Amino acid sequence: MKKILTAIVLGLSVQTFAQNVEFKSSNFKDDKEGFKKAEAAIDQGNELFKAANEALFLVQDFGLNYKKALQQYEIAQKFNPNNAELNFKIGVCHAHSNDPSKCISYFKKAKQLDPACDPFLNYYMGYALQLEGKYDEALKSYQAFEAEYKKADNFAKFVGQHKKECAAAKTAEANPVRAWVDNVEALNTPQDDIAPSISTDGAEMIFSSNRSNSHQTNEVGEYDYDIYSTSLNDGTWSKPKALAGTINSTTDDVSNCLSYDGSKMLLHRADQTGQTDIYESKLVGANWSDPKKMVFQISSDKASETYASYSDDGWKIFFSRDSDTRTSGTEVMFSAMQNKMKQDYMTAAGIPSVNSKFNDGPIYIHIDGETMYIASQGHESLGGYDIFVSKKAQGQWGAPVNMGYPINTPYDDFFFASTANGKFAYIASNRSGGKGGYDIYRVTFFGPEKKPVVETEDYLLASIAQPVKDHAIESTVDVKKKSLTVFKGVTIDAISRKPVEAQIEITDNATGQVIETFTTNSATGKFIITLNSGKNYGISVKATGYLFHSENFDIPAGTPDQLINKTIELKNIAVGSKIALRNIFFDHG
Amino acid sequence: MKQARRLLVLGLLLFSAQATAQVEALTPQEQRYRDSITKLNQQNATIAASQEAYNKGIELFNNKQYDAAIAEFSKSVNADPNFTAAWYNKGVAENEDERFSDAVKTFTNLIEKNPSYAKAYFQRGRAYQGLSDYLLSEKDYEKSISLDPANPKAYYNYGTLKFLQQDYATAIRYFTKTIELDPAFAYAYNDRGSCHRMMANYPKAIADYEEAQRKNPNLAFVLNNIGTTKKKMKDYAGAIAAFNRAISIDPNYALAYNNRGATFLEKGSIDDAQKDFEKALQLQSSYAPAASNLSAVWFKRKDYAKALEFGNKAVSLDPKYAAGYVNRGMAKEMLRDLNGACEDWHKANELGAVEGKTYYSGNCN
Repeated sequence: MKKILTAIVLGLSVQTFAQNVEFKSSNFKDDKEGFKKAEAAIDQGNELFKAANEALFLVQDFGLNYKKALQQYEIAQKFNPNNAELNFKIGVCHAHSNDPSKCISYFKKAKQLDPACDPFLNYYMGYALQLEGKYDEALKSYQAFEAEYKKADNFAKFVGQHKKECAAAKTAEANPVRAWVDNVEALNTPQDDIAPSISTDGAEMIFSSNRSNSHQTNEVGEYDYDIYSTSLNDGTWSKPKALAGTINSTTDDVSNCLSYDGSKMLLHRADQTGQTDIYESKLVGANWSDPKKMVFQISSDKASETYASYSDDGWKIFFSRDSDTRTSGTEVMFSAMQNKMKQDYMTAAGIPSVNSKFNDGPIYIHIDGETMYIASQGHESLGGYDIFVSKKAQGQWGAPVNMGYPINTPYDDFFFASTANGKFAYIASNRSGGKGGYDIYRVTFFGPEKKPVVETEDYLLASIAQPVKDHAIESTVDVKKKSLTVFKGVTIDAISRKPVEAQIEITDNATGQVIETFTTNSATGKFIITLNSGKNYGISVKATGYLFHSENFDIPAGTPDQLINKTIELKNIAVGSKIALRNIFFDHG
Repeated sequence: MKQARRLLVLGLLLFSAQATAQVEALTPQEQRYRDSITKLNQQNATIAASQEAYNKGIELFNNKQYDAAIAEFSKSVNADPNFTAAWYNKGVAENEDERFSDAVKTFTNLIEKNPSYAKAYFQRGRAYQGLSDYLLSEKDYEKSISLDPANPKAYYNYGTLKFLQQDYATAIRYFTKTIELDPAFAYAYNDRGSCHRMMANYPKAIADYEEAQRKNPNLAFVLNNIGTTKKKMKDYAGAIAAFNRAISIDPNYALAYNNRGATFLEKGSIDDAQKDFEKALQLQSSYAPAASNLSAVWFKRKDYAKALEFGNKAVSLDPKYAAGYVNRGMAKEMLRDLNGACEDWHKANELGAVEGKTYYSGNCN
């Protein structure tokens, strides 16, 4: 029961919301005065709207007509916000403003109120969907428009261009270029901030803005454009300052191009009729000189010229020119000097290879002289103005190539001021998410796609994995602890104490081998030999006329200078003599 | 019996007293003789001490107590400077302990004492190799080969030197000679295979690696080499099979996990790759390549914060690991830290990474 009630309420709400309220007096019986004012405003708006549309169809400048029409429509909209046609027209005015995203809600509401309110609704719904990035739906809407729109005028080229844009945008967004695009908030305002131009090192910038200034506003309450400067300090742009002196007038003064060394600039300035011309100003000390209008070959009398750029060598000026007689918008031209001293610029010539059927320009010639950055509503645009790059080859500028998403979007993206290293650039765009109107954005290119390094590891040499250890060392040895003891002695007669010559034989008792045999000195009876220490020996002494003498003795393992001193007393052979066999332990010193 | 023992002792005491009493002063001749014997005894004692230290050193060496072994061998040669075996063993122990400078000095001493000591040249060559002084190392191996042409290890080490100098053709000759002298020398097959691999002759490389594997089926690194070679040949199935076998031999072989992960990543199996890199890092927490490769995985997943985290880990694990800086720089770039990225690429360039040079020159000037 509760669900059914909810469904009924919702159904009623939708029905109420979808009600188209016609501007008929019968619908406003309670406020006839209000109705009259609204009706009058619509009528006034419609005239302006029509004029703007006519210029638009001819790819010409529609001036302030949409803005002025919008002012009138907004009066009526306050009185009756639920009129499909009015919502549609307000949407169109916003679509051709510097803040086009505002159009989306009006077109959607117009369609809800009455899908048949205007034959161009499907076209503009396509545009709104395109701005939202719903390219497939946008394409269907454009196709629906095409199916219904049977007029044999040149509007088909707009539809065709938008269809191409949808296809290009879809492809581009699927394959974004490697760049970040960031709003430079420090420089931007809710008004338009455009035409950034930087010194080669990227540290100084001039740009233009129609932010609040000391001049009078125009008919739609907007200030004129002035030129501002700012400096980059520690990655932050300083607060912009309007250039001092006469470079900023009470009409639009729009910076175009700062020379590579920052010593002069090109700008365009509008006269009271709205026609624009190119001017040049030079930096004198800290101030910019009074701008001088460029020669008529560049700043012509009959056409408007905007957005000029120096060439790398200073011999040419590139610029955009518009005229009432053209139906393909502004076109990029250049004028070259024959003699630099004379500054004798020749008649300007177009560059067919870079111009499209729609507005082309601003342009920027890179310091390399081989690269032109050109904004265009034509070519392979993703929508609105896009920035393209054209390369010079064999003296000819090549076909412009779209710089891709996210530099370009379905909104207007134009101007291109690059640092010399090409790492950073500044553009202007009215993409959604900004501060309002056109904002200045910084483009950071992060170079070609980089592949992370994925490393495998090998032990290509086995000896690194498991080193060949030839640790076969030399083998152990038997330790020979050989120590000798000096064995000194004397053989004497036991009674007379006189020396006796005797034969001595020393036996190693451990092996039983006789190791020494010698005779003591006949005069002194002395002997001196060496014996291995730490052993037990047997000594036998024989002398003529004396009893045989023998004894065993130890020589201890002693100090290196061990000495055994032995006196052997021999007994004369006589009756009763006895032989004693002894184990002797010598004292040693 | 007790009475008899007392008499013997008394007799001995008397004899001793007699002997002592009759000690005469030594004549000059006798004194010189005694002095010479004393000196000889001292020399013998020193040699014995040297030999004892030497034997002790061998015991310590066999227990892989190289520091202590070196100390004993040092004692030995200090006691007996002509004890060449002790010099040799000291040098070998120093090589084992990777005290290559000391080893060079030791073997140089030994060679001065015995210029025909073939093994000393071999070992000094190895020490020079450890010091990356390949020129001197090469000369020593050449001398070793000339003195002992039947030593396969000298040919083998000479081959590795040629490999390190990227003279792969010569290295192949020496590894082949090693194999002739010792047909069971699995390492020589592996290294000859690596020469072929470096010369991009992958089929021959695989053939040699497989022969090495037949000679010694337990060498996981040989299977790893088969895997990485097959990866180069884009034979991902073969590569993964080889890494699987390496892992079956050594379940803790972080390298094989890392390399299998790299193979998975190259064939597009990013989940499998991540698991393997994580396993490698789990097995060997200090393994910088796995951390760096995980940084690459997260970069591919466009999770640049994670890529940075593992890039940080890689360079903290090994501050000289160039790839870690390359990958961390890429993560930093995507996180808009361009200065940080440039610093990392500059460092990677200094450490020899080609990518570091490319990225730095292309993005930071």
